[in-house]
Amino acid sequence: MNRRTLALLSAAALLSAAAAGCSSSGSSPAAVAASPGSANFGVNATGTVQFWARTVSKTLAQKLVSEFNATHSNLKVKLTLTSINDDTTSLATSIRAGDPPDVVGLNDIDMPTFTRNGSFLNLTKAIALLPYEKYLSPGHIGLATYNGQEYGVPYWADLSVLWYNKQLFSQAGLNPNDPPTTYAQILSDAQAINKLGNGIHGFTFAGDCEGCLGFTVQPGIWASGSYLTSGPIGNQTATISGNQALVQALTLYRDMWTEKLVPDNDRTDDGPTWGQDFVAGKIGIMPGGYGQIENLATPAELATEFADAPLPGADGGYSTFDGGDDFAIPAAAKNPSGAWEFITWVLQTQQQEQYPDLGATPIRTDLLTPSYSAAHPLDAVALKALGHGYAPVGLIYNQAFNVPQGPWFQMFTTAVYDGNMSLALQQGQSGFTQLLQQAAS
Amino acid sequence: MIVDESGPRDNTVPRVRPARPRGTLVRGGSLRARRARTGIALVSPAFALVAVFVLFPLAFAVYISLTDWPLIGPYHFTGGRNYTELIHDPVFLHSVLFTLLYTAIVTGPILVLGYAMAVFVRANWPGSVVFRTVFFLPFIVGLATESFMLLLELQPDSGAIDAVLGKLGLASSSTAWTVHYGLALGAICVFVVWFASGLTMMILMGGMQGVPGELYEAADVDGATWWQKERRITIPMLRRNIALSLIISVIGSFLAFNQFFILTEGGPGTSTEPIVMWIYQEAFVAYHLGYATAGAIALVIVVGIISAAQFYLLRDDADAPRRAGRRR
Repeated sequence: MNRRTLALLSAAALLSAAAAGCSSSGSSPAAVAASPGSANFGVNATGTVQFWARTVSKTLAQKLVSEFNATHSNLKVKLTLTSINDDTTSLATSIRAGDPPDVVGLNDIDMPTFTRNGSFLNLTKAIALLPYEKYLSPGHIGLATYNGQEYGVPYWADLSVLWYNKQLFSQAGLNPNDPPTTYAQILSDAQAINKLGNGIHGFTFAGDCEGCLGFTVQPGIWASGSYLTSGPIGNQTATISGNQALVQALTLYRDMWTEKLVPDNDRTDDGPTWGQDFVAGKIGIMPGGYGQIENLATPAELATEFADAPLPGADGGYSTFDGGDDFAIPAAAKNPSGAWEFITWVLQTQQQEQYPDLGATPIRTDLLTPSYSAAHPLDAVALKALGHGYAPVGLIYNQAFNVPQGPWFQMFTTAVYDGNMSLALQQGQSGFTQLLQQAAS
Repeated sequence: MIVDESGPRDNTVPRVRPARPRGTLVRGGSLRARRARTGIALVSPAFALVAVFVLFPLAFAVYISLTDWPLIGPYHFTGGRNYTELIHDPVFLHSVLFTLLYTAIVTGPILVLGYAMAVFVRANWPGSVVFRTVFFLPFIVGLATESFMLLLELQPDSGAIDAVLGKLGLASSSTAWTVHYGLALGAICVFVVWFASGLTMMILMGGMQGVPGELYEAADVDGATWWQKERRITIPMLRRNIALSLIISVIGSFLAFNQFFILTEGGPGTSTEPIVMWIYQEAFVAYHLGYATAGAIALVIVVGIISAAQFYLLRDDADAPRRAGRRR
């Protein structure tokens, strides 16, 4: 190879590299210069934003991206859907490889795994500038916060509520416009409905689905101002022993089981069929997700047969599990300014108000207006609960709550099916403590 | 002229070498070297693929297993600590024992049922093709799909299993199969035997159809019974097929995941958690990737040892007919 050929090849390589650089996302000089909180961050960004969303939010994500791209000529969002069971590993791999997306919709419960390692951009200053900052879902923000800094902002909410069948309430002589607001009322209403017979049961729960139970049982405990763990990440302790709110919640489910107020197959319901008996009109009361029944039932059924209420505590109050996703911008994102422009566009009222029709709940409590309640009465209940919502912050949630081997389900099984409350609390205390110690080490 | 035969030889006179067997004649084994080079050239693409996609990832996995590799963030070299913890981890040890128990339960029935089905359909009688298809269909449909179907049919009060067994008086119509250890294990074992015996049938049937008919005709002349022909002719001739089906079956049992993940999630507790599910939980739930990889490496070693042992014990001595021929 002579010098001339070598020079030509070198020039070609340089041109190719330059062309590749120009075509990659985040090429905008303004995007590179902007940082969260600065005046030009998220303003008039250009290029492409790579957006990873979980398949569980597919409908919502596709609609938002489609509308954003239709209304923005200089900034385009490219959506990639990640599998539910693979989203965290995919994201971690991309971050390790130095090629993460520009924005990710991450299950909020997984946020602490990433925030404590500095994997995400610190958005505290940018969030502080949002006019609706104080109305953002507290549970979502809590999970995105590490050492007082906010690394994410709510994207969409998947909230737990108390569904009930108005027609069965009426048939049982109960007021269909007066849903239960205490454990005692839940139990008595379920007993009344159960007496209808003909395969109708007063209550139902997914008795072999540990994640479903964590989603629906815990809010009643939180409504009483009690929690299963306490303390900051890395220095958390289990608060199971002597937790009266927990005992009351487990006792409610124990009563439901022993009094046969629930179908027998609740014991083996591990999730895929959860809620189908309720939608079939065979169940009086069911704690579940807002989007879950909204997706299973027909509009006519939702209008006339079913209604929802906040999940109450033992003696009143209410709460909800702040499930759903947070937006986060990886620290190595190529177009963070473009990502923030997309995020703030999604958080605007016009986009948020589309959420109920897409099976999701907005993440701004200030949207709960009389007109919103009139247009979306069922989602309004969930949105009302959002302000009282919570989600456990820590590194052990999946291990503790989302696997049958975890201490949560072990405790539930021992208390509800075996009827041994003291042993259940011991198992819970030791199991949670062991996981917390492992996570801290 | 007297020639001194014992005198020094004239090195200038070319010597004629004695004839050698064909193939080794050319220039001191260069043909053999050339053949070796050709062989290496032919296998090198395959070896390169194996090296890139198997050996390198395996070596990297071994390295990961010697660290505290997390999902995200820095990692540290920990030497053999993961392996030390592994052999003291009661949950891991339980998963190993459970996997061994599960393997021991299903392997024999899969072979026996597969053999019986192969005997039933090996001849080309009317309808045999239909039966072959029916028997092999579960394997074609797939374990994951059928596990979901079984999950629905095992539901108390609404599933077909309880309904049928209830009618027959063999079980309560509200039996909760998937949440009790013994019932769950029994149901999964029966399900897996039904699922996997079709593959065994296909492997054995192929071997059976390759057995020369003259052997059976000679046995008939000698007055052999059906069982004698199976025991003295068919089974010995199927030695390789049986070895293959056993190895596939055992490795499949060691790597079992789908049916347990879908039907029991390893529960109640960890009672039906096989090794692969333990690895999954550690890696993708607890995010202990280094520790989980140590478990995976241990599984690779165990499966390798068991497979090697099976190959050795069930090896087919290819020289046996020739030795027998020489003896004759």
